Amino acid sequence: MSDQPAPSAPHETHAPSPAPRSEGHTGGPPRRSEGGHGGGGGGPRREGGGSGGPGGPGGGPGGPRRGGKRQYFRKKKVCRFCVEHVDFIDYKKVDMLQPFVQERGKILPRRMTGTCSRHQRWLGEAIKRARNIALLPFATEL
Amino acid sequence: MDERIYDLIFICRPATPEEEVNKIVATLEHSTGEHGGKIEKTERWGTRRLAYRVAKHREGFFVYMVIKSTQGDLIKELERRLKVSDAVIKYQTIRLDEELKRQQKLGKHRERRASRRPRKQAPGAPPPAAPPPPQQQAPTAAAE
Repeated sequence: MSDQPAPSAPHETHAPSPAPRSEGHTGGPPRRSEGGHGGGGGGPRREGGGSGGPGGPGGGPGGPRRGGKRQYFRKKKVCRFCVEHVDFIDYKKVDMLQPFVQERGKILPRRMTGTCSRHQRWLGEAIKRARNIALLPFATEL
Repeated sequence: MDERIYDLIFICRPATPEEEVNKIVATLEHSTGEHGGKIEKTERWGTRRLAYRVAKHREGFFVYMVIKSTQGDLIKELERRLKVSDAVIKYQTIRLDEELKRQQKLGKHRERRASRRPRKQAPGAPPPAAPPPPQQQAPTAAAE
């Protein structure tokens, strides 16, 4: 996260500045003041970083995060039925239901398949109907 | 009572001779006629593998029918007949008219929407939001 600023901060800080603070408090408080940004740099800061020098203004957590922005690129899952404008899920079409069932026969959750809630509801119903008439398994037998 | 549509599937033992299946279908047709119903279509899916064992069989002969009826008693009668016959190992009746109605409604709705609001052909370039350049306000260091 704050890998970039963390090591630099202790070096830049002025030696005298921690002195006044350290009188009153021990290592704890400076840490508290800087707690907003970065748990990573806690160790070195306790010694030298108590200062309000360049590294540790009260600017909030925004500053030090500059370099270490974490970005996730997750592929957006789209409901397959919405794309194809399906208004009715037929329980007789087993090939259509098969991809939404696990190997052992479980219905796959929405978070895996990206199905929207409405279609998941219809899908669940269709799968259960298909199970009832032995088109799909309740659970595969061993 | 308005008309209802039902799906009826039944599974016969795989060893059932063809005539036996025909006989069952005929009796179903007969009792459907008696109750003022109508068989829309009959499909023989043939021998298929069952997803699980039913009456110690791993395969079964599937017959699929679509029935229109205004009387719920008909279904009761058909299911009773299927239950009685030895060749049938499983059957299922599903009322489908409401779902088909919903399907039609959704389809119509989509059509109407599509006709009312034809998709705008991507205008040259969408007006950019033009975000103001982020002003990095360096907070004044209090300790200096």
